[in-house]
Amino acid sequence: MIGLASDNLLGTVFGVYLARAKDEEIRRRKVASGGAVTALLTYALEKGIVDGVVAAKRTKGLEGQAVVAHNKKELLEAAGNKWSIVPFATRMKAKIEEENLKKVALVCLPCQAQFFAQMRDFPLLESDFGERIKYIVSLFCMGTFAFNAFLNYLRMKYNIKAEQIRDIHLKKDFLEIVYNGTKLDLPIEEVYSYLQTGCLVCTDYTGIWSDISAGFVESEPGWTVLMARNPKAEELIKSAEKEGYLELKEGSHVVGEILKKAREKLARAQQNMSYLL
Amino acid sequence: MEKLKVLHVDIGSCEGCNVSILRALPKIQEFVDLDMKYLAKKTCARDKYDMVIITGGVCMNEPHIIEKVKSLREKTSTIVAFGSCATFGGILRFCRGGQEPRPDHRNFQPINSVVKVDYSIPGCPPTPQMVQSFFKFFVAGDKKRLKLFKVYADIKKLSGFDLIDDIVLTGLCIGCGACELSCPTQAIEMIDRRPNLIAEKCIRCGTCYVRCPRASQMLSMGGRK
Ligand SMILES: Cc1cc2nc3c(=O)[nH]c(=O)nc-3n(C[C@H](O)[C@H](O)[C@H](O)COP(=O)(O)OP(=O)(O)OC[C@H]3O[C@@H](n4cnc5c(N)ncnc54)[C@H](O)[C@@H]3O)c2cc1C
Ligand code: SF4
Ligand code: SF4
Ligand code: SF4
Ligand code: SF4
Repeated sequence: MIGLASDNLLGTVFGVYLARAKDEEIRRRKVASGGAVTALLTYALEKGIVDGVVAAKRTKGLEGQAVVAHNKKELLEAAGNKWSIVPFATRMKAKIEEENLKKVALVCLPCQAQFFAQMRDFPLLESDFGERIKYIVSLFCMGTFAFNAFLNYLRMKYNIKAEQIRDIHLKKDFLEIVYNGTKLDLPIEEVYSYLQTGCLVCTDYTGIWSDISAGFVESEPGWTVLMARNPKAEELIKSAEKEGYLELKEGSHVVGEILKKAREKLARAQQNMSYLL
Repeated sequence: MEKLKVLHVDIGSCEGCNVSILRALPKIQEFVDLDMKYLAKKTCARDKYDMVIITGGVCMNEPHIIEKVKSLREKTSTIVAFGSCATFGGILRFCRGGQEPRPDHRNFQPINSVVKVDYSIPGCPPTPQMVQSFFKFFVAGDKKRLKLFKVYADIKKLSGFDLIDDIVLTGLCIGCGACELSCPTQAIEMIDRRPNLIAEKCIRCGTCYVRCPRASQMLSMGGRK
């Protein structure tokens, strides 16, 4: 049996902001919430703070593939959410080494942030590339889909075929499936069993190992919540605002909302662990 | 600030781990006073050390090695098992005796089979940068970052087999590919988004397990192996 500690659920938090892209072009794109992640990383690339950004680009269907973006155009192509886990690790290493990138920012989910941060803090292997990772940006995460199973469910229950689906958005507590010019709202509860089993025991909602965590809250639609976890991250966010890339508001009033979600995820994990393990 | 007094003792490593510590020396000298036989110092000269680092596994067919490890426990409040042989048995687990020059060496076990270990640093060998990081966080008293190494100190065996058993066969694997990337012998291959273990290639170093975010999250949240 695994017993979980419930303290320190959000990890170290240096500053919390509500942010969105200043650039209309970014906001017009299908960004996930306020487009702040895309805007922040555009800033880092254009000012030479990083020399590459690893993000996930939609390939066929709704899944993603790890890509390295070098400029705003390439970052825009990767904006928005991908609902599966993007098996980064191996491909990313090859890419970073091929292009000899030395200062990389990467966008990932909390589990991946944990892996990369541990690699950076504790390089166990000669082949590790942690010293090349400058910023780890973690998205908040409630889980990723076992994709084949999820698509099959949509087909059987709603007669929606994979190739008809244009997009999937995470709204309050439902998923909005955009297909064939219409929309279907699926309560999150209904699709829980199509999340990966591993996600059902995952305890990290915000990505406590990241430098910057990004997500959204219901009470501030159109904004991305950015959590800076160290002075270096704080400085990046602040200077992106100063240079006109980000619109920024103080966000400490939404911490309660985030904490509530994090508690829900922990409770889900504890419950699932009790019968899975 | 006074330097940390550290004793290194090798009880039968392949030297890979020792070289790693030696390579880290220039970077840690500032805050660590290392007592190591390669440094032409009289080792074990003190009665007490702040930390003892042990490399290599314990040969269970050598009573004097077992005694030596036990005596080291008396010398310090902090024992660090360094490298996969010392932490989880590593490749030494394959030893079955009958080899020259010591055909009588038939069975090796990790340090924590003999004495309580405080921190375990797996890796075959862990890199010099790892040595540096460990000391940096140890001196700073960064409990959060050292936590996993404390957890490993109580685990005797960890390998690709455990990864498959505990994470993949239980359905908890999320297919991130971190294990594949971390295996030094390419014993792991992702097939249909799940790792597959090539048993003969696994040297039981435990790196994949330690690097698996699913596994390390559960362990760092207080899970038991
Ligand atoms: C699977 C998943 C679950 C999520 N669950 C929640 C949740 O429960 N609560 C919450 O508040 N927020 C959640 N988010 C995050 C949220 O939807 C937004 O991504 C976040 O608010 C950032 O918005 P943005 O407009 O600033 O991002 P954008 O400017 O659109 O940038 C998003 C960046 O993330 C990258 N990205 C997208 N998907 C992936 C992926 N799968 N792996 C790696 N990188 C990726 C993109 O390439 C892009 O660079 C989730 C995201 C994902 C992918
Ligand atoms: S729920 Fe956890 S394990 Fe699943 S994708 Fe999100 S962070 Fe990773
Ligand atoms: S862990 Fe690897 S490098 Fe270290 S002693 Fe054992 S075999 Fe040698
Ligand atoms: S599978 Fe690879 S990383 Fe895992 S224990 Fe075996 S050799 Fe080590
Ligand atoms: S590291 Fe763990 S979760 Fe990731 S693919 Fe390997 S076994 Fe699965």
